[in-house]
Amino acid sequence: MTAAALEASRFRPGPAVWVSIAAVAASLAIGALLVGLTGVSIPEAVAAFADGAWGSPYAIGASVNRALAFALVGVGFVFAQRANLTNVGGEGQIAVGGMAAAAVALHAGVAGWPLGLAWIVPLLAATAAGGLWGAFPGWLKARAGTNEVISTLLLSFIAVWMLYGSVQSEALLRQPMTSSSTLPESLPIPDAAQLPLLAPDSGLPLHVGLPIGLALAVVVGVVMSRTVFGLRLRAVGLNPEAAKRAGIPITASIVAVMAAAGALGGLAGGLMLLGEQYVLKAGFSSGYGFDGLVAGLLARGSIVGVLAAALLFGFLRSGGINMEMVAGVPSALVVVIQGLIIVTLAGAALFIDRRSARA
Amino acid sequence: MDLSAGEALARRPAAERGARDAARGRPDAGPALLRLEGLSKRFGTLQALDDVSLEIAPGEIHCLLGENGAGKSTLCNLVFGIHAPTQGRMWLGGEDYAPTGPAHALSHRVAMVHQHFSLVGDFTVVDNLLLGQTRGVLDRKRCAAQVEALSQRYGLELAPHARIDDLSVGERQRVEIVKCLMREPRLLVLDEPTAVLLPEEIEALLDVCERVAGEGCGVVLVTHKLAEIRRVARRATVLRGGRVVARSEQPAAELDALVRAMIQRDLAAPGGGRADVPRAKVTTGETGRRPEPALMVDGLGVRDADGVQRIDNVTLIVEPGEIVAVAGVEGNGQSELAAVLSGMRAPTNGRFFVDGRELTHATPRQFSAAGMGVVPEDRHAVGCVLGMTVAENLFLDRLQQFRRWGLFDRGALDRSARELMARFDVRAAGPQSVFSSLSGGNQQKAVLARELTLSPLRVLLAAHPTRGLDVGAVEAVYSHIRAACERGVGVLLISSELDELLRVADRVLVMYRGRVMGECAADEGERHRIGAWMAGHAA
Repeated sequence: MTAAALEASRFRPGPAVWVSIAAVAASLAIGALLVGLTGVSIPEAVAAFADGAWGSPYAIGASVNRALAFALVGVGFVFAQRANLTNVGGEGQIAVGGMAAAAVALHAGVAGWPLGLAWIVPLLAATAAGGLWGAFPGWLKARAGTNEVISTLLLSFIAVWMLYGSVQSEALLRQPMTSSSTLPESLPIPDAAQLPLLAPDSGLPLHVGLPIGLALAVVVGVVMSRTVFGLRLRAVGLNPEAAKRAGIPITASIVAVMAAAGALGGLAGGLMLLGEQYVLKAGFSSGYGFDGLVAGLLARGSIVGVLAAALLFGFLRSGGINMEMVAGVPSALVVVIQGLIIVTLAGAALFIDRRSARA
Repeated sequence: MDLSAGEALARRPAAERGARDAARGRPDAGPALLRLEGLSKRFGTLQALDDVSLEIAPGEIHCLLGENGAGKSTLCNLVFGIHAPTQGRMWLGGEDYAPTGPAHALSHRVAMVHQHFSLVGDFTVVDNLLLGQTRGVLDRKRCAAQVEALSQRYGLELAPHARIDDLSVGERQRVEIVKCLMREPRLLVLDEPTAVLLPEEIEALLDVCERVAGEGCGVVLVTHKLAEIRRVARRATVLRGGRVVARSEQPAAELDALVRAMIQRDLAAPGGGRADVPRAKVTTGETGRRPEPALMVDGLGVRDADGVQRIDNVTLIVEPGEIVAVAGVEGNGQSELAAVLSGMRAPTNGRFFVDGRELTHATPRQFSAAGMGVVPEDRHAVGCVLGMTVAENLFLDRLQQFRRWGLFDRGALDRSARELMARFDVRAAGPQSVFSSLSGGNQQKAVLARELTLSPLRVLLAAHPTRGLDVGAVEAVYSHIRAACERGVGVLLISSELDELLRVADRVLVMYRGRVMGECAADEGERHRIGAWMAGHAA
């Protein structure tokens, strides 16, 4: 992380970090208690959680890959938030990104392309699709004053159902039907279009998406704090009338930042498809967009905070899935624990704010 | 510096004194309504108030004077419970008074009119007044009747069912005042209430103050205007740097001393108006061709969404180096004219040109490029971004100048900001201070600094540039405007302060119901004609 991005963040190390850690630990403890109440042995559940979250190189890689998707959506959220815009459309942006990546990777004949273009071009397609999916509500907001919370959310539902529809029809993305038991999903992504692994022999499923995502986080941090565009975004967010009077192009700024946020979500979708899932099917986005949104919310404007929250959620999700599969802890409980963490973290942030305000 | 009451008394004719005292009542009997002792307030490193003691008697109008940032608003906020004092005590009606918040203060019948209004724009007057009601059914009819009654009793003309957004600033303030009066206060605190009012409205407000005081209520009036002090003040207290620097039992007789105490220097001799300033000679070039007018407005019309003709066929010309004032009672189209001429609103018909370039449907950016600087009427709404720094606000429209290798160069911005702050005497802790931490006068100076340093600058549109500013800041604003004028900038000054207009401008146009009623030289002798035009009489 560069100094600039650190400066951009409102992430204050010190008491904030300790209080946050205490908050997470406390909610995990309550979570363990709840697990106990369902009749599952707590040590067994904890072991399953640890195993799924960081028990093997594969588990660690899977957790980090999840975190990456959350982080991209969260960074986009924080970026748009700079202009006082709330992008809750991460889920839909992931979905259109996944569809675009699948369409290009499967049907554009990219398999033979050299120099990594086989995966770069589908990723670009995913980014562009997400960008459009974000730009549209931005344009509506700037032109007609449509509330972006509503429009991004509704567009999310549209995108998720479009994805569902697209894998139902052979004319779209469904694999050719060879029998009545052919699943409604796309063909697998060809090897050439799959993202290169960072350490192929280690068993860690980390792919090039990780450095790309981190680089983009730094770029967004720098843009927010160290460019004229970032400063103007803040002016637009704080006082659009004054910004307009000062000749700042309001419409362009809003559309641009919403497009950027959407593009990050679309890229997350592309990375998920080409680096992890390799098959597009219903339920592809599986709530990643909303988890990423929460990571962005909790970060309160800080890029470092987004990365930390995304990492936490990535490990939580992986551990939770394994806890359900191995120890039989109901999946609803995992969601409850996650909710507990969010509430305590947000509460801790408020607590710290109040204290520093009094000091 | 405590002025001796005896000495001041001697300076005043006995007959006049007797009449005035009778008019104001003798409030000295009985205990003080409000007593402050050793009140201090500290915000971080800033000592906003320092050991202030004060007494307000029932039925007294007590004027609080001071430059911007002297601590007047802070003092009012302490009395109204918005802030708690760091030190000191307050008594109300002889009892300990430590308000925990505005609601607490209101329950003690202490009411306050703030400098900035707290009204819901989309609500009607009555609904805004009912907002404070905490239980029961909303009785709009009764409230409207109450408004009417109060309006008539105090001469505060107000349509109970008008939407706040449709009201002028002056009308909105009347709503705030009525809001207070409905509480039947025993102490009424008015924080610079006359800053936004027209001359007749000020008269009416001062009448209100006198009537309220006549009913035994204490009135604290924060003001900069000497005429008001002369007219209504029973006593006056001057704050500077958070301390009481002067008290006067006879403010009307001691105005000069009060002003000296306030700004610690004498006012520039009156009459230092435009007439004495050497006129800027605009070079006509070797060809002898007349230069383009700085601003030419041709047949401008604005019809609002409700079909009301807000501006009707307004034509005017501002030559380079000339100050043209647009006078008129507020709400007669001046706001709309300013909005159109600053690119915030499109006209329905007509055209206008800056330096020969048509800007009728241009974007604000094109306005700036054409050399049109704008000091907007509502600086908080359109003039600045309160949450950003002073430096960022000073260069809001040209942030792109501060770029190095594509990145924003904060160091260069700060250096330029420091220079501009020094030049325009913008007082702040530093260029990185948050804009909202500046006092009103310094905020206005900063906005002016930004608009006057536009390059090139051909026209300055200044809408109420001195509203809410203290005497010193008003002088500073006009001296900067004059300096620009001498460099050949044309100035269109929209204001309702007739005294100021006559002192500063070359020509005066009067607007009435969206039309230009008349035009004359800005001459003291024309005062009568201007007044008639403002009232809608063709002279």
